[in-house]
Amino acid sequence: MKIAGTNVVFVPQERAYEMLQDPGILASCMPGCESLEKIAENEYAMKMKMVVAAVSGQFAGTVRIADPEPPGKFRLIVEGSGKIGFVKGSGVLTLTPNESGTEVAYDGEVNIGGTIASVGQRLIDTTARMLIKRFFAKLNGETARVAAD
Amino acid sequence: MIPAPFDYSAPATLEEALKLAGDGSSKILAGGMSLIPLMKLRLASPESVIDLGRIPGLNQITESGGAIRIGAMATHHAVEGSPLIRGKLPLLAETAGQIGDIQVRNMGTLGGSIAHADPAADYPAALVALEARIHLRSTGGERAVEASEFFLDAFTTAMEPGEIVTGVEIAAEAPSEGYKYEKVPHPASGFPVVGVAVRLSRSGGKITLARVGVTGMSSHAFRARNAEQVLVSGGNIAAAAGVVGEGIDANSDLYASADYRLHLARVHAARALTAALSRAS
Repeated sequence: MKIAGTNVVFVPQERAYEMLQDPGILASCMPGCESLEKIAENEYAMKMKMVVAAVSGQFAGTVRIADPEPPGKFRLIVEGSGKIGFVKGSGVLTLTPNESGTEVAYDGEVNIGGTIASVGQRLIDTTARMLIKRFFAKLNGETARVAAD
Repeated sequence: MIPAPFDYSAPATLEEALKLAGDGSSKILAGGMSLIPLMKLRLASPESVIDLGRIPGLNQITESGGAIRIGAMATHHAVEGSPLIRGKLPLLAETAGQIGDIQVRNMGTLGGSIAHADPAADYPAALVALEARIHLRSTGGERAVEASEFFLDAFTTAMEPGEIVTGVEIAAEAPSEGYKYEKVPHPASGFPVVGVAVRLSRSGGKITLARVGVTGMSSHAFRARNAEQVLVSGGNIAAAAGVVGEGIDANSDLYASADYRLHLARVHAARALTAALSRAS
Protein backbone atom coordinates (compact mmCIF):
# COMPACT_ATOMS: atom_id res chain seq x y z
CA MET A 1 0.00 0.00 0.00
CA LYS A 2 1.27 3.43 -0.88
CA ILE A 3 0.98 6.20 1.64
CA ALA A 4 1.65 9.79 0.84
CA GLY A 5 0.62 13.09 2.27
CA THR A 6 1.75 16.30 3.86
CA ASN A 7 1.50 17.83 7.27
CA VAL A 8 2.69 21.10 8.71
CA VAL A 9 4.88 21.35 11.78
CA PHE A 10 5.00 24.79 13.35
CA VAL A 11 8.78 25.06 13.80
CA PRO A 12 11.63 26.05 11.46
CA GLN A 13 13.03 23.41 9.14
CA GLU A 14 16.24 22.65 11.12
CA ARG A 15 14.24 22.15 14.32
CA ALA A 16 11.67 20.00 12.56
CA TYR A 17 14.43 17.82 11.17
CA GLU A 18 15.97 17.41 14.63
CA MET A 19 12.61 16.61 16.20
CA LEU A 20 11.76 13.96 13.65
CA GLN A 21 14.96 12.15 14.57
CA ASP A 22 14.82 12.64 18.33
CA PRO A 23 13.94 9.28 19.87
CA GLY A 24 12.44 10.92 22.96
CA ILE A 25 10.09 13.06 20.93
CA LEU A 26 9.26 10.30 18.47
CA ALA A 27 8.45 7.90 21.30
CA SER A 28 6.07 10.36 22.89
CA CYS A 29 4.34 11.19 19.61
CA MET A 30 3.98 7.80 17.94
CA PRO A 31 0.55 6.39 18.78
CA GLY A 32 1.00 3.42 21.10
CA CYS A 33 4.80 3.63 21.30
CA GLU A 34 5.94 2.03 24.55
CA SER A 35 9.68 2.28 24.11
CA LEU A 36 12.22 3.42 21.55
CA GLU A 37 15.87 2.60 22.28
CA LYS A 38 18.94 3.39 20.29
CA ILE A 39 20.68 0.19 19.17
CA ALA A 40 23.10 1.66 16.61
CA GLU A 41 23.73 4.93 14.83
CA ASN A 42 20.42 5.90 13.22
CA GLU A 43 18.79 2.66 14.32
CA TYR A 44 16.28 2.13 17.11
CA ALA A 45 14.45 -0.78 18.64
CA MET A 46 10.78 -0.05 19.14
CA LYS A 47 7.97 -1.61 21.13
CA MET A 48 4.44 -0.45 20.53
CA LYS A 49 0.92 -1.35 21.44
CA MET A 50 -1.57 -0.62 18.73
CA VAL A 51 -5.09 0.02 19.93
CA VAL A 52 -7.68 0.81 17.29
CA ALA A 53 -11.30 0.19 18.17
CA ALA A 54 -11.47 -3.24 19.80
CA VAL A 55 -8.31 -4.38 18.02
CA SER A 56 -5.17 -4.32 20.06
CA GLY A 57 -1.81 -5.91 19.57
CA GLN A 58 1.77 -5.55 20.58
CA PHE A 59 4.44 -5.02 17.98
CA ALA A 60 8.21 -5.16 18.33
CA GLY A 61 10.54 -3.97 15.62
CA THR A 62 13.11 -1.52 14.41
CA VAL A 63 13.10 2.01 13.06
CA ARG A 64 16.01 3.02 10.87
CA ILE A 65 16.98 6.34 9.38
CA ALA A 66 18.76 6.13 6.04
CA ASP A 67 20.10 8.53 3.44
CA PRO A 68 20.02 11.53 5.78
CA GLU A 69 20.30 14.85 3.96
CA PRO A 70 19.81 17.40 6.76
CA PRO A 71 17.87 19.51 7.04
CA GLY A 72 15.64 18.66 4.12
CA LYS A 73 15.23 14.95 3.65
CA PHE A 74 15.66 11.46 5.08
CA ARG A 75 14.36 7.97 4.61
CA LEU A 76 12.55 6.13 7.39
CA ILE A 77 12.50 2.35 7.37
CA VAL A 78 10.20 0.57 9.79
CA GLU A 79 9.85 -3.14 10.43
CA GLY A 80 7.78 -4.75 13.09
CA SER A 81 5.84 -7.85 13.93
CA GLY A 82 3.48 -9.12 16.55
CA LYS A 83 0.84 -11.76 17.14
CA ILE A 84 -1.75 -10.02 15.01
CA GLY A 85 0.44 -9.37 11.98
CA PHE A 86 3.52 -7.69 10.63
CA VAL A 87 4.36 -4.38 9.06
CA LYS A 88 7.22 -3.34 6.80
CA GLY A 89 7.52 0.10 5.42
CA SER A 90 9.89 2.54 3.90
CA GLY A 91 9.30 6.13 3.01
CA VAL A 92 11.02 9.41 2.28
CA LEU A 93 10.25 12.45 4.39
CA THR A 94 10.88 15.79 2.75
CA LEU A 95 10.93 18.96 4.84
CA THR A 96 10.28 22.26 3.15
CA PRO A 97 10.14 25.59 4.97
CA ASN A 98 6.91 27.50 4.52
CA GLU A 99 5.25 30.54 6.08
CA SER A 100 3.83 28.72 9.13
CA GLY A 101 6.89 26.54 9.80
CA THR A 102 7.82 23.42 7.91
CA GLU A 103 5.86 21.30 5.54
CA VAL A 104 6.62 17.62 6.00
CA ALA A 105 5.79 15.52 2.97
CA TYR A 106 5.91 11.74 3.25
CA ASP A 107 5.85 9.30 0.43
CA GLY A 108 6.33 5.63 0.96
CA GLU A 109 5.20 2.08 0.64
CA VAL A 110 3.90 0.04 3.56
CA ASN A 111 3.23 -3.67 3.54
CA ILE A 112 1.02 -5.16 6.17
CA GLY A 113 0.50 -8.87 6.54
CA GLY A 114 -0.83 -11.55 8.85
CA THR A 115 -4.28 -11.81 10.41
CA ILE A 116 -4.75 -8.06 10.60
CA ALA A 117 -4.26 -7.71 6.85
CA SER A 118 -6.33 -10.71 5.85
CA VAL A 119 -9.41 -9.59 7.72
CA GLY A 120 -8.83 -5.86 8.02
CA GLN A 121 -8.00 -4.94 4.42
CA ARG A 122 -11.01 -2.66 4.22
CA LEU A 123 -9.70 -0.55 7.08
CA ILE A 124 -5.93 -0.48 6.83
CA ASP A 125 -5.67 2.64 4.71
CA THR A 126 -8.08 4.64 6.86
CA THR A 127 -6.39 3.50 10.05
CA ALA A 128 -2.89 4.27 8.76
CA ARG A 129 -3.94 7.77 7.82
CA MET A 130 -5.57 8.27 11.21
CA LEU A 131 -2.39 7.18 13.03
CA ILE A 132 -0.24 9.53 10.91
CA LYS A 133 -2.64 12.38 11.63
CA ARG A 134 -2.42 11.63 15.37
CA PHE A 135 1.38 11.56 15.19
CA PHE A 136 1.57 15.02 13.66
CA ALA A 137 -1.06 16.42 16.00
CA LYS A 138 1.01 15.19 18.96
CA LEU A 139 4.21 16.47 17.39
CA ASN A 140 2.65 19.89 17.11
CA GLY A 141 1.47 19.61 20.70
CA GLU A 142 5.04 18.81 21.66
CA THR A 143 6.40 21.83 19.77
CA ALA A 144 3.89 24.08 21.52
CA ARG A 145 4.99 22.64 24.87
CA VAL A 146 8.69 23.13 24.07
CA ALA A 147 8.03 26.67 22.90
CA ALA A 148 6.18 27.42 26.14
CA ASP A 149 9.04 26.15 28.35
CA MET B 1 -11.24 -19.28 16.40
CA ILE B 2 -11.10 -19.54 20.20
CA PRO B 3 -10.72 -16.25 22.03
CA ALA B 4 -8.06 -15.57 24.63
CA PRO B 5 -9.38 -16.01 28.19
CA PHE B 6 -11.36 -13.07 29.54
CA ASP B 7 -13.56 -12.17 32.50
CA TYR B 8 -17.23 -11.99 31.69
CA SER B 9 -19.92 -10.15 33.54
CA ALA B 10 -23.57 -9.68 32.68
CA PRO B 11 -24.94 -7.03 35.03
CA ALA B 12 -28.68 -6.84 35.59
CA THR B 13 -28.84 -3.06 35.85
CA LEU B 14 -27.31 -0.15 33.98
CA GLU B 15 -25.94 1.28 37.23
CA GLU B 16 -24.01 -1.91 37.86
CA ALA B 17 -22.70 -1.93 34.27
CA LEU B 18 -21.57 1.69 34.61
CA LYS B 19 -19.73 0.87 37.81
CA LEU B 20 -17.98 -2.09 36.16
CA ALA B 21 -17.12 0.01 33.10
CA GLY B 22 -15.93 2.88 35.25
CA ASP B 23 -12.21 2.71 34.54
CA GLY B 24 -12.68 2.20 30.80
CA SER B 25 -10.49 -0.93 30.65
CA SER B 26 -13.28 -3.39 29.83
CA LYS B 27 -14.95 -3.88 26.49
CA ILE B 28 -18.69 -3.44 26.34
CA LEU B 29 -20.53 -6.25 24.57
CA ALA B 30 -23.79 -5.34 22.86
CA GLY B 31 -24.78 -7.50 19.90
CA GLY B 32 -21.22 -8.76 19.44
CA MET B 33 -21.25 -8.43 15.64
CA SER B 34 -17.85 -6.72 15.61
CA LEU B 35 -16.31 -7.54 18.97
CA ILE B 36 -16.87 -11.31 18.97
CA PRO B 37 -15.28 -11.99 15.54
CA LEU B 38 -12.31 -9.81 16.52
CA MET B 39 -11.94 -11.75 19.76
CA LYS B 40 -12.19 -15.09 17.99
CA LEU B 41 -9.41 -14.02 15.63
CA ARG B 42 -7.53 -12.74 18.69
CA LEU B 43 -7.26 -9.36 17.09
CA ALA B 44 -8.96 -8.19 20.25
CA SER B 45 -8.01 -9.70 23.60
CA PRO B 46 -9.85 -7.70 26.23
CA GLU B 47 -9.24 -8.78 29.81
CA SER B 48 -12.86 -8.29 30.69
CA VAL B 49 -16.13 -8.02 28.82
CA ILE B 50 -19.33 -6.45 30.15
CA ASP B 51 -22.43 -7.82 28.45
CA LEU B 52 -25.35 -5.38 28.31
CA GLY B 53 -27.72 -8.08 27.06
CA ARG B 54 -29.40 -8.74 30.40
CA ILE B 55 -30.25 -5.18 31.30
CA PRO B 56 -34.00 -4.79 30.93
CA GLY B 57 -35.36 -1.82 29.03
CA LEU B 58 -32.21 -0.86 27.14
CA ASN B 59 -33.85 -1.92 23.87
CA GLN B 60 -37.03 0.11 24.21
CA ILE B 61 -38.33 2.32 21.44
CA THR B 62 -40.58 5.11 22.74
CA GLU B 63 -41.99 8.45 21.71
CA SER B 64 -42.46 11.57 23.74
CA GLY B 65 -43.03 15.15 22.67
CA GLY B 66 -42.32 14.64 18.98
CA ALA B 67 -39.03 12.86 19.59
CA ILE B 68 -38.33 9.16 19.26
CA ARG B 69 -36.03 7.58 21.80
CA ILE B 70 -34.37 4.32 20.76
CA GLY B 71 -32.52 2.26 23.34
CA ALA B 72 -28.96 1.27 22.58
CA MET B 73 -29.72 -2.46 22.64
CA ALA B 74 -32.47 -2.25 20.00
CA THR B 75 -31.41 -4.59 17.21
CA HIS B 76 -31.26 -3.45 13.61
CA HIS B 77 -34.17 -5.78 12.92
CA ALA B 78 -36.23 -4.17 15.71
CA VAL B 79 -35.49 -0.71 14.30
CA GLU B 80 -36.34 -1.87 10.78
CA GLY B 81 -39.63 -3.38 11.90
CA SER B 82 -40.83 -0.98 14.58
CA PRO B 83 -44.14 0.60 13.48
CA LEU B 84 -43.18 3.76 15.37
CA ILE B 85 -39.86 4.12 13.53
CA ARG B 86 -41.35 3.13 10.17
CA GLY B 87 -43.98 5.81 10.65
CA LYS B 88 -41.94 8.64 12.13
CA LEU B 89 -38.32 7.96 11.18
CA PRO B 90 -38.64 6.11 7.88
CA LEU B 91 -35.08 7.02 6.87
CA LEU B 92 -33.72 5.19 9.90
CA ALA B 93 -35.93 2.14 9.28
CA GLU B 94 -34.84 2.05 5.64
CA THR B 95 -31.17 2.26 6.66
CA ALA B 96 -31.50 -0.46 9.31
CA GLY B 97 -33.05 -2.80 6.74
CA GLN B 98 -29.94 -2.58 4.58
CA ILE B 99 -27.36 -3.42 7.24
CA GLY B 100 -25.34 -6.60 6.68
CA ASP B 101 -27.54 -9.69 6.43
CA ILE B 102 -30.50 -10.99 8.39
CA GLN B 103 -28.30 -12.73 10.98
CA VAL B 104 -26.41 -9.51 11.66
CA ARG B 105 -29.64 -7.51 11.83
CA ASN B 106 -31.09 -9.93 14.35
CA MET B 107 -28.11 -9.66 16.69
CA GLY B 108 -26.42 -6.32 15.97
CA THR B 109 -27.58 -3.27 17.88
CA LEU B 110 -27.89 0.45 17.25
CA GLY B 111 -25.75 1.31 20.28
CA GLY B 112 -23.06 -1.20 19.35
CA SER B 113 -22.78 0.20 15.86
CA ILE B 114 -22.59 3.75 17.21
CA ALA B 115 -19.95 3.02 19.84
CA HIS B 116 -17.81 0.93 17.49
CA ALA B 117 -17.87 3.74 14.88
CA ASP B 118 -16.75 1.69 11.92
CA PRO B 119 -16.02 4.21 9.16
CA ALA B 120 -18.28 2.18 6.86
CA ALA B 121 -21.16 1.47 9.24
CA ASP B 122 -24.59 2.19 7.72
CA TYR B 123 -26.33 3.85 10.66
CA PRO B 124 -24.08 6.92 11.03
CA ALA B 125 -25.11 8.27 7.59
CA ALA B 126 -28.76 8.32 8.70
CA LEU B 127 -27.93 9.53 12.20
CA VAL B 128 -26.05 12.60 10.98
CA ALA B 129 -28.78 13.31 8.40
CA LEU B 130 -31.40 13.03 11.16
CA GLU B 131 -29.35 15.15 13.58
CA ALA B 132 -29.73 12.42 16.17
CA ARG B 133 -28.64 13.09 19.71
CA ILE B 134 -26.57 10.25 21.12
CA HIS B 135 -27.11 9.71 24.82
CA LEU B 136 -24.14 8.68 26.93
CA ARG B 137 -24.05 7.66 30.57
CA SER B 138 -21.22 7.18 33.01
CA THR B 139 -21.07 6.99 36.78
CA GLY B 140 -20.53 10.76 36.58
CA GLY B 141 -23.87 11.45 34.87
CA GLU B 142 -25.57 11.68 31.52
CA ARG B 143 -24.95 13.80 28.44
CA ALA B 144 -26.02 13.90 24.81
CA VAL B 145 -23.87 14.58 21.76
CA GLU B 146 -25.15 15.49 18.31
CA ALA B 147 -24.26 12.78 15.77
CA SER B 148 -22.16 15.00 13.51
CA GLU B 149 -20.03 15.90 16.53
CA PHE B 150 -19.91 12.34 17.81
CA PHE B 151 -18.12 10.53 14.98
CA LEU B 152 -14.63 12.01 15.02
CA ASP B 153 -12.43 9.60 13.11
CA ALA B 154 -12.21 5.92 12.22
CA PHE B 155 -13.35 4.02 15.34
CA THR B 156 -13.00 7.24 17.27
CA THR B 157 -15.94 8.95 18.91
CA ALA B 158 -16.61 11.69 21.43
CA MET B 159 -17.10 9.01 24.13
CA GLU B 160 -14.94 9.23 27.24
CA PRO B 161 -13.56 6.12 28.98
CA GLY B 162 -16.25 4.67 31.22
CA GLU B 163 -19.15 6.01 29.14
CA ILE B 164 -21.81 3.75 27.66
CA VAL B 165 -24.16 4.62 24.80
CA THR B 166 -27.64 4.29 26.28
CA GLY B 167 -29.67 5.32 23.25
CA VAL B 168 -30.43 7.97 20.68
CA GLU B 169 -33.09 10.62 20.52
CA ILE B 170 -34.32 11.84 17.16
CA ALA B 171 -36.99 14.39 16.26
CA ALA B 172 -39.67 12.79 14.08
CA GLU B 173 -39.34 13.41 10.36
CA ALA B 174 -42.10 15.59 8.94
CA PRO B 175 -44.66 13.43 7.10
CA SER B 176 -44.18 15.54 3.96
CA GLU B 177 -40.45 14.93 3.95
CA GLY B 178 -38.79 12.76 1.32
CA TYR B 179 -36.01 10.40 2.37
CA LYS B 180 -33.71 7.79 0.88
CA TYR B 181 -30.75 5.65 1.89
CA GLU B 182 -28.66 4.56 -1.04
CA LYS B 183 -25.67 2.30 -0.60
CA VAL B 184 -23.16 0.38 -2.64
CA PRO B 185 -22.70 -2.79 -0.61
CA HIS B 186 -19.32 -4.47 -0.61
CA PRO B 187 -20.03 -7.85 -2.20
CA ALA B 188 -18.30 -9.83 0.54
CA SER B 189 -19.11 -7.97 3.74
CA GLY B 190 -22.26 -6.02 2.92
CA PHE B 191 -20.64 -2.93 4.42
CA PRO B 192 -21.28 0.15 2.32
CA VAL B 193 -18.39 1.04 0.04
CA VAL B 194 -20.27 4.31 0.23
CA GLY B 195 -23.71 5.02 1.66
CA VAL B 196 -25.73 8.21 1.35
CA ALA B 197 -28.73 9.08 3.54
CA VAL B 198 -30.88 11.98 2.41
CA ARG B 199 -33.84 13.99 3.72
CA LEU B 200 -35.56 16.65 1.68
CA SER B 201 -38.55 18.93 2.17
CA ARG B 202 -40.02 21.05 -0.53
CA SER B 203 -42.48 23.84 -0.66
CA GLY B 204 -43.72 25.08 -4.02
CA GLY B 205 -40.85 24.52 -6.41
CA LYS B 206 -38.17 25.08 -3.79
CA ILE B 207 -36.24 22.77 -1.51
CA THR B 208 -36.66 24.09 2.01
CA LEU B 209 -34.70 21.49 3.95
CA ALA B 210 -31.86 19.25 2.85
CA ARG B 211 -29.81 16.84 4.92
CA VAL B 212 -27.16 14.66 3.33
CA GLY B 213 -25.23 12.12 5.42
CA VAL B 214 -22.38 10.15 3.89
CA THR B 215 -20.73 7.02 5.25
CA GLY B 216 -17.98 4.72 3.99
CA MET B 217 -16.30 7.43 1.97
CA SER B 218 -13.89 8.74 4.55
CA SER B 219 -12.65 8.06 8.06
CA HIS B 220 -16.05 8.82 9.58
CA ALA B 221 -19.61 9.63 8.55
CA PHE B 222 -20.18 13.28 7.80
CA ARG B 223 -22.86 15.71 6.71
CA ALA B 224 -22.27 17.08 3.22
CA ARG B 225 -23.25 20.60 4.30
CA ASN B 226 -21.95 22.13 1.07
CA ALA B 227 -24.35 19.97 -0.95
CA GLU B 228 -27.22 20.85 1.43
CA GLN B 229 -26.40 24.52 0.92
CA VAL B 230 -26.51 24.16 -2.86
CA LEU B 231 -29.98 22.61 -2.65
CA VAL B 232 -31.58 25.14 -0.32
CA SER B 233 -30.17 28.03 -2.32
CA GLY B 234 -31.89 26.79 -5.45
CA GLY B 235 -29.21 24.59 -7.03
CA ASN B 236 -30.27 21.41 -8.78
CA ILE B 237 -29.51 17.85 -7.72
CA ALA B 238 -26.62 17.41 -10.15
CA ALA B 239 -24.94 20.54 -8.79
CA ALA B 240 -25.45 19.42 -5.20
CA ALA B 241 -24.24 15.86 -5.79
CA GLY B 242 -21.22 17.27 -7.59
CA VAL B 243 -19.86 18.89 -4.43
CA VAL B 244 -20.38 15.92 -2.08
CA GLY B 245 -17.06 14.97 -0.52
CA GLU B 246 -15.27 18.08 -1.69
CA GLY B 247 -12.13 18.63 0.35
CA ILE B 248 -12.45 15.31 2.16
CA ASP B 249 -9.79 12.58 2.06
CA ALA B 250 -11.50 9.50 0.65
CA ASN B 251 -10.62 5.99 1.82
CA SER B 252 -9.04 3.52 -0.51
CA ASP B 253 -8.67 -0.24 -0.31
CA LEU B 254 -8.22 -3.15 -2.71
CA TYR B 255 -11.86 -2.91 -3.75
CA ALA B 256 -12.25 0.81 -4.36
CA SER B 257 -9.68 3.56 -4.80
CA ALA B 258 -10.18 6.99 -3.29
CA ASP B 259 -11.17 8.52 -6.64
CA TYR B 260 -13.66 5.75 -7.34
CA ARG B 261 -15.18 6.15 -3.86
CA LEU B 262 -15.63 9.85 -4.39
CA HIS B 263 -17.23 9.14 -7.75
CA LEU B 264 -19.57 6.57 -6.18
CA ALA B 265 -20.52 8.98 -3.40
CA ARG B 266 -21.57 11.59 -5.93
CA VAL B 267 -23.45 9.22 -8.22
CA HIS B 268 -25.33 7.72 -5.28
CA ALA B 269 -25.96 11.10 -3.69
CA ALA B 270 -27.65 12.12 -6.94
CA ARG B 271 -29.75 8.93 -6.93
CA ALA B 272 -30.69 9.33 -3.28
CA LEU B 273 -31.63 12.98 -3.78
CA THR B 274 -33.74 12.17 -6.83
CA ALA B 275 -35.56 9.40 -4.96
CA ALA B 276 -36.07 11.56 -1.88
CA LEU B 277 -37.42 14.43 -3.93
CA SER B 278 -39.95 12.16 -5.62
CA ARG B 279 -41.12 11.01 -2.16
CA ALA B 280 -41.46 14.53 -0.78
CA SER B 281 -44.90 16.07 -0.95
